[in-house]
Amino acid sequence: MLEGTSGDHPVQPQPRQGHLEQMTQGRVQIPSSMAGEEDFFLEEKRFKQHCEEFVKHSQQIGDGWEWRTNKDLGDGYLSKTHFQVRNRHIAQDLREKTSDNIEETLLAHVEESLDDSQVAGVCTTEEVIRYEYHVLYSSSYQVPVLYFRACFLDGRPLTLEEIWGSVHACYQDRLQEGPWDTITQQEHPILGQPFFVLHPCRTNEFISTVLTGPWKHNRHKNYIILWLSTVGPVVGLSVPLSYAKVAPEQNSSTDSAERALN
Amino acid sequence: MTDDKDVLRDVWFGRIPTCFTLYQDEITEREAEPYYLLLPRISYLTLVTDKVKKHFQKVMRQEEVSEIWFEYEGTPLKWHYPIGLLFDLHASNTALPWSITVHFKNFPEKDLLHCHSKDVIEAHFMACIKEADALKHKSQVINEMQKKDHKQLWMGLQNDKFEQFWAINRKLMEYPPEDNGFRYIPFRIYQATTERPFIQKLFRPIASGGQLHTLGDLLKDVCPSAVTPEEMWLSNLRIDLRWRAEDSSDDSWN
Repeated sequence: MLEGTSGDHPVQPQPRQGHLEQMTQGRVQIPSSMAGEEDFFLEEKRFKQHCEEFVKHSQQIGDGWEWRTNKDLGDGYLSKTHFQVRNRHIAQDLREKTSDNIEETLLAHVEESLDDSQVAGVCTTEEVIRYEYHVLYSSSYQVPVLYFRACFLDGRPLTLEEIWGSVHACYQDRLQEGPWDTITQQEHPILGQPFFVLHPCRTNEFISTVLTGPWKHNRHKNYIILWLSTVGPVVGLSVPLSYAKVAPEQNSSTDSAERALN
Repeated sequence: MTDDKDVLRDVWFGRIPTCFTLYQDEITEREAEPYYLLLPRISYLTLVTDKVKKHFQKVMRQEEVSEIWFEYEGTPLKWHYPIGLLFDLHASNTALPWSITVHFKNFPEKDLLHCHSKDVIEAHFMACIKEADALKHKSQVINEMQKKDHKQLWMGLQNDKFEQFWAINRKLMEYPPEDNGFRYIPFRIYQATTERPFIQKLFRPIASGGQLHTLGDLLKDVCPSAVTPEEMWLSNLRIDLRWRAEDSSDDSWN
């Protein structure tokens, strides 16, 4: 099936297996020579593959990501939890820690700052925030979507206003333009619990700038890495530079199947 | 679409008689009388219960009142689900009026989205409309509309104005004559018995042979456990407002 034509009828009879599978497998990317406007949708199978690659690298560098599968429907999502400290007086290296060593490191720094007369403030436990990030696939927009929730150590969740306030300074202008289009609270489609979401409507827009012209070679790179390294920082999630080393997929069987259908 | 106007009106004007009672542990200065209201099936709890809130706040002290939330037989009610869906999911087999308990304390953070203003409801509603159009028209129709058209959809819902709403919504329900339907059908299937809130997948209106898919086809594909062959019936798939949410239990199809 070619992307971009308005009729979008299947061009050949579909086997009986269930057209849902075919629909997700059959989506292909139009070669740039064909379409005026390009769409860089990520179809679900590729999403899962790229997540797999992503998790593999995360495991190698201890970045804390894991894949969780939903037993009902077999789909799943990426998940990571980390802690952040809001107090500016705490040293930079404390900003991201895994749950293993956060408490020890925190206590060490609290003691240090008590001794250091130059430090104006002391990091108290109320300022530590536990972030949980999930990457899900949106079949409606055919892009990955970033869900997250955040609470203080005493369990109090952050409010939407606090979340908006914590968005990095360089993204504040865009946020102010349309906060309700950018980050809102929504129900997690698999867990059914309240999460904050970074809206996916604009994803295709900015991803296409990373995949066209001088950046065409990016198309074989890992979509999750490209996407997450761009949107993650907006909501306090950084993707270590070593992910850039992840080898691009080279003529995998999916790619050849896609070209055959094209 | 004009033949269906009766159906559209019936859907729009559907009502559920409801009795609101204040939770017994709320602290009041005097006895709180229950409050009766006809709730529109297509709207949202927090959009249509200002009078309920005022009624109960009259017997409470200001400091005892924080964000309102609703519960049915111990289950917090998700205000972001259409009222009709909530009723079908939780109370369709019980006698009317539907009895809802009103709370002003101990907001269940793990279960419910916050709703501090009408802006939140509007943002949610518009996000649903946009997602549905992403499926139907690759977002072309919704994106070509002006902001005032989006506002009109919302105001139509908020003020219960059928004509005002449908003046804009009909554009979202059209497709070019050369096409046989929408690109994908926006639908969600809710089941009270699962942890997962709903099932949503890509589904085309036309089968490979060119025939229209039916609701039975959809169910067979998406949740075969819910329907047995005897219970399947044929009808054209209808998309009325945003999502049609049906199917409330595993063993019976209503």
